[in-house]
Amino acid sequence: MSMQMALPIAMIPGNSVIHRINPLAKIVWVVGYIALAFSTQNVFLLYGMALFAFLLAPIAGVTKPLLKGALILVPVASSLLAIQIIAPAVEKPWTHVADIGVLQLYGDGLYYGFVLLGRVVSCLLMALIMVMTTHPSDLFTSLSKLKIPYAFNFMLAMTLQLIPVFQREVGIIMSAQKSRGMKGRGFAAVLPSFVPVFVGAIERVQQLSISLESRGFGSNGFKTSYRQVKVRPSDWVIGIIGALLLATLVTVSIMRGLWSVSSLVVFPHIFVFWLFIVAAGTFAAIILATLIYAFKK
Amino acid sequence: MSDPIIRFDDVTFTYAATDEPALHSISLDIQAGEYVAILGLNGAGKTTLGLCVNGVIPTMLGGNLEGKVTVAGLDVSEYPVREMAKIVGMVFDNPEFQMSQMSVAEEVALGLENAGVPYEDMKRIIPETLELVGLAGFEERSPLGLSGGQQQRLAIAAVLAMQPQVLIMDEPTSNLDPIGKQEVFDMAAKLNRERGMTVIVIEHEVEVMARYADRVIVLDSGRVVMNGTPQEIFSQVDALGELKLRVPEAARLAQLLAKQELWSGPVPIRTESAVEAVNELLGAHNV
Repeated sequence: MSMQMALPIAMIPGNSVIHRINPLAKIVWVVGYIALAFSTQNVFLLYGMALFAFLLAPIAGVTKPLLKGALILVPVASSLLAIQIIAPAVEKPWTHVADIGVLQLYGDGLYYGFVLLGRVVSCLLMALIMVMTTHPSDLFTSLSKLKIPYAFNFMLAMTLQLIPVFQREVGIIMSAQKSRGMKGRGFAAVLPSFVPVFVGAIERVQQLSISLESRGFGSNGFKTSYRQVKVRPSDWVIGIIGALLLATLVTVSIMRGLWSVSSLVVFPHIFVFWLFIVAAGTFAAIILATLIYAFKK
Repeated sequence: MSDPIIRFDDVTFTYAATDEPALHSISLDIQAGEYVAILGLNGAGKTTLGLCVNGVIPTMLGGNLEGKVTVAGLDVSEYPVREMAKIVGMVFDNPEFQMSQMSVAEEVALGLENAGVPYEDMKRIIPETLELVGLAGFEERSPLGLSGGQQQRLAIAAVLAMQPQVLIMDEPTSNLDPIGKQEVFDMAAKLNRERGMTVIVIEHEVEVMARYADRVIVLDSGRVVMNGTPQEIFSQVDALGELKLRVPEAARLAQLLAKQELWSGPVPIRTESAVEAVNELLGAHNV
């Protein structure tokens, strides 16, 4: 009953330098990363940000889970690059590189494809590092210090709590259906499980709301917090450096017209051709594998 | 006698989407420090009765409440549930559905945080409360990783930390194994005896209630049909049978023996007293 399933993306307990940084300082970096990533088109800057985030992983001791969490990038990267090669998001004229059957490949969109991918990679890695090194309760306590409403924080925390619970519930319901001779695997089995899971969820939430209210949840008076999150001088330094550095880069990028260096980066035709083969092949393989898994008897 | 801590004054309650009242003109007094068991079939109104005491009815759940429920001198319908929480703690049947926090300590802290208790006091109250329910040292564990009995004791700790005067437990052991059940009832008895806490238990376990309760209230279709000491209630084997309620096995045995004219005298409601009486009986018949 009380078996716990690990989330693919969850906190990895530890006591590294990164773990000990105040959540608010980390939020400054994550928000700064997002702001910078979307105000620049400089691939060197974007992949530099990604590299910096990735180098934090060994310091925090989360390299392995980080790589696991970053697996989501494989379909994102392969689809993004393949689509940019056949349908560039830049103005014509396009340089024709090669033909594969009816598909015509162009190299022009590739720079922009790498920009889009760089944004996703850098923000995702930084966010994963933060999530993996911050206790959720500390995060929510810190957020409430930023005057984010208690109920909103609680909602976020509750969502994290309920994901493993519902995963388990789906497992139980699917086993029950399997034992009655229904399909036990794949998409066809998951679908009819949704109704009982949702009905159960509503019941659970109703009971929880009564239980919470019985402990004064709705109190609009002064609330205190059991978790004490310290803000040390080093946290101020990290937060301020992050804010200044990233704000400077944002300003520079915007002043230089998104700082695109596409004219400096030229992709050889043969590179575009093979990149397309690899990316499209990977993406097709992922889609195929998913379909096979979903409809396998 | 002093003023009762809980008073139901001709209370009739009908849930929003129904016509039939869940509670029918209930009048009850419960004294401070009593251990009260509420018995009845499913749908007899037991849970509804409990929800009336902590104010979830009528404040949170809609419906039509007639009459007046007074708890510690306060008219329940005039106070929000969060205010009543300081007086009445209520624990429900499914412990897992009452968990919302990442760690045991935070689960206990929730009510204290909402009440604005300072951090220094929480640091003292939380270990004390966990000690009381036998969960000392579990502070950093995840509530979802505990056993059912531990979870239910945590749910109780979470309301006890707020130091209520009344503890209501709604079928607290229906999801628990025998050891878990014992743990929960022993704890409630201890709170009742040592701290003078008023305890109201909604239960099906008649054996346990015969042992612990000062008073048994039997509900049937929203009406109080019996109200007395466990001895008075459980010796009415036939009347309880008509209500489709179980009686302690000891009482049933005494009744069967009485039908054979082998038994006269008071009906035992606890197994030990039945064993004693049967031994005497065997001695008298030289068996």
